Amino acid sequence: MENFTMLLEGFTVVLTVQNVLVVLLGAVLGLIVGAMPGIGSLAGVALLLPLTYKFNPTTAIIMLGSLYYANMYGGAFSAILLNIPGDSPAVMTALDGYPMATKRNRPGQALFTSNMSSFIGGLIGMIILTFTGPALANLGLKFGPAEMTALLLVAMTSIGWLVGENPTKGVILTLVGILVASMGMDTLTGSPRFDFGNIYLLGGIPFTPFVIGTVGFSQVLKLMQDRNKKVEANLSQKLTIKGSMLTLHDIKRLLPPAIRSGFLGTFVGVLPGAGATTGSFMGYAMQKAFKSEEELGTGAIEGIAACESANNAAAAGSFAPLLALGIPGSGTGAVLLGGLMMWGLNPGPLLFSSQPEFCWGLIASLFLANLITLIIAVGIIPFMIRILTVPVKILVPCITVVCIVGSYSTSNSMYGVLVMFFSGLFGYVLDRNGYSTAPMLLAFVLAPLLESNMRKSFISSHGSLDIFFQKPIAAFLILVLFAIILTPVIKFALKKIRPAQKSS
Amino acid sequence: MKKIAIVLAFALLLAAPVFAAAQSEVAGSVGFVPSKNIDWYVTSSPGGGSDIFTRTLMDIMVTEKLVNDKNIVIQYKTDGAGEVGRLLVSNMKGGTQADHTLLTFNSGDLMPMAKNTNNRFENFQPIAHLAVDKHLIFINEVSPYKTFEDVIAALKAGANITLAGSKGDDIGCHAALAKELGVSVDQFAYVTHDASSAAITAILGNHYDLLISKPAAASQYVEAGKIKPILALSTSRFPGNLGSAPTLKELGYKNVEVPNWRSVVGPKNMSAEAVAYWSDVFKQVSAQDAWTKGYIEKQKLVPDFMGHAAFKAYGAQFQAEYLASIGKDK
Repeated sequence: MENFTMLLEGFTVVLTVQNVLVVLLGAVLGLIVGAMPGIGSLAGVALLLPLTYKFNPTTAIIMLGSLYYANMYGGAFSAILLNIPGDSPAVMTALDGYPMATKRNRPGQALFTSNMSSFIGGLIGMIILTFTGPALANLGLKFGPAEMTALLLVAMTSIGWLVGENPTKGVILTLVGILVASMGMDTLTGSPRFDFGNIYLLGGIPFTPFVIGTVGFSQVLKLMQDRNKKVEANLSQKLTIKGSMLTLHDIKRLLPPAIRSGFLGTFVGVLPGAGATTGSFMGYAMQKAFKSEEELGTGAIEGIAACESANNAAAAGSFAPLLALGIPGSGTGAVLLGGLMMWGLNPGPLLFSSQPEFCWGLIASLFLANLITLIIAVGIIPFMIRILTVPVKILVPCITVVCIVGSYSTSNSMYGVLVMFFSGLFGYVLDRNGYSTAPMLLAFVLAPLLESNMRKSFISSHGSLDIFFQKPIAAFLILVLFAIILTPVIKFALKKIRPAQKSS
Repeated sequence: MKKIAIVLAFALLLAAPVFAAAQSEVAGSVGFVPSKNIDWYVTSSPGGGSDIFTRTLMDIMVTEKLVNDKNIVIQYKTDGAGEVGRLLVSNMKGGTQADHTLLTFNSGDLMPMAKNTNNRFENFQPIAHLAVDKHLIFINEVSPYKTFEDVIAALKAGANITLAGSKGDDIGCHAALAKELGVSVDQFAYVTHDASSAAITAILGNHYDLLISKPAAASQYVEAGKIKPILALSTSRFPGNLGSAPTLKELGYKNVEVPNWRSVVGPKNMSAEAVAYWSDVFKQVSAQDAWTKGYIEKQKLVPDFMGHAAFKAYGAQFQAEYLASIGKDK
């Protein structure tokens, strides 16, 4: 209960006119930044950080915290309406969000689902953060390289859910994803890999332009194909909040995946090195294991709910190691950590006890940001879905510009733009030939984490496999891995034996 | 009329020392004052150590009005692990732009640059060397070792020990330490992390035996009793809560240190006047309280100002030694 009183005190810090305005500003900026492809939370927080140096630290972190947080909502808008994820966690949202908006003709409901799930996931994450903050961070500590390797191997199996109808194509793209991810400097020895003597490739293929290209820009190319198609008129009847409301049945479908993902996402957010993107990928993959009323990938509410809830929960969860131990759980967390130092605070295990006002103020501001962002996000749904009525010939140049700006901003150079164009062409070719890019992106996200953790494990165990079986968490996860891999094999074998028995 | 002349003469006389002082201040920089905005390149991400270093310097330069009221714009160039930004600055053509270009450069930048590319320290104009960061070895609360002597004894007995740390200079420290102790890097293994914070996370979770870190990143955890310093990789002990850790010499070995220095350089083609001007500006900054108290002391660095000439010689020697240590000729 002590934590609860601390949280209430946090609210007294936040609920000043100035801080509420700052939350509002952060939420609006976060939504905009999130909806712009390429300019994700990392860039948004990094761009605003210098502006906050002169603020008092509590106000500054409240603004950046709510910006980071609102960003998780914003990414879904462009993912659902344009099939162009506004930030990397929204890649999965597009898989079901875009079909739901266009094929099923329920854009308002798709956005509503995404916003509601974001709210639920975030709320679960924050409640867990409030009551178990430091304990949660300690759980994250238990995950060393061996445990992370085992967990990532389990996560890798989820690619099996995403490969689609043609497993061969899925496996090929998974391997391509791993190959592309291995370019650049080897993180353990610092030696260059696949750089072909090119100084730009030394840093590897940057994730954001790669995603904007394969998912976003390839969509622009697709749109250009049917640029003369008439916009369907039946949309205009539903351009109100009322027309975007979810039915009771929809809400019933939304709740279970959103709540499950809320817990999973919080856990992923706490793990070292895994952020909101990994959270949303894993949330979506997990939903594949559960029943959905409509098949995932065809515009199912469950699909949107699972990943949107997971990424917001992960964003909330990643604050636990940041505040309790001074350890950033993601790239954005690292920028926030730098901010803490610039504001004159010493992030570390003493922060909760030495700066309670700051920590609880931040947590309280997350609750406030969650609520404010939900209200704003739902409020702008009727305006946002009008994007669908914009003629393609106007839409295409606009999105192209946004794609270019977004990929330029990741490293302030044309390199990102080039990567975006080439991966866009690549994504377009893949799409035309019936390849789904999701396994490639998941492999691209997970492979570097898996590689570095596996190699770290082997260095510390001096090459012995025992390290994966001696530690309880790792051993348990390896068992889960075997169970996942062997279940279909055993099922298959049983099927073979049974008919054989019948015939004999 | 006469009265006015006398007053004027008197006033001039009074003002003379002020003018003289002002002149001596800009004496090193005859012929150059900033005439446009300054582009300051940082080759790592916002919020990190290099960014904080740069922003602190920048804030002092602007508030103390050392840049002729021009603006400083930080350019983050992180492509190619920073190599693109460094190449861009080193190749800049001479002229106004080159004279208004600065680059934050530390030994953690120099080492991968010299190792992986053909770009060298000589391709830059050294401007000012400002501070040095040194390293310590730490254990966590549950470590079976209590002192570094225990660690040495275990190594001699053939135990495998793993050290966790960050990139660049941390790796250099490990190599030098293994060499001095006479153990192989297979037995005394090193695990590279992306940042000190990641290595600290791992040691808090007891996933490795030892941690190497610079004081700033580790200090809070020492304060909280989560980790304990057991060896100072320096020629003398550290101050404050890190003072309990002995140097290697105290344990009967030669001292080992691979300092991470923080500096500012410019393009090779920066004019000599501009180099002198900037070198002087940083010298003034390094004497400010905002620098010594607000940065050096807080980040637990060792202040070590070197101007253009001294830094040029030091950097070249550092690079030569590093290249020799990794078996590269030049």
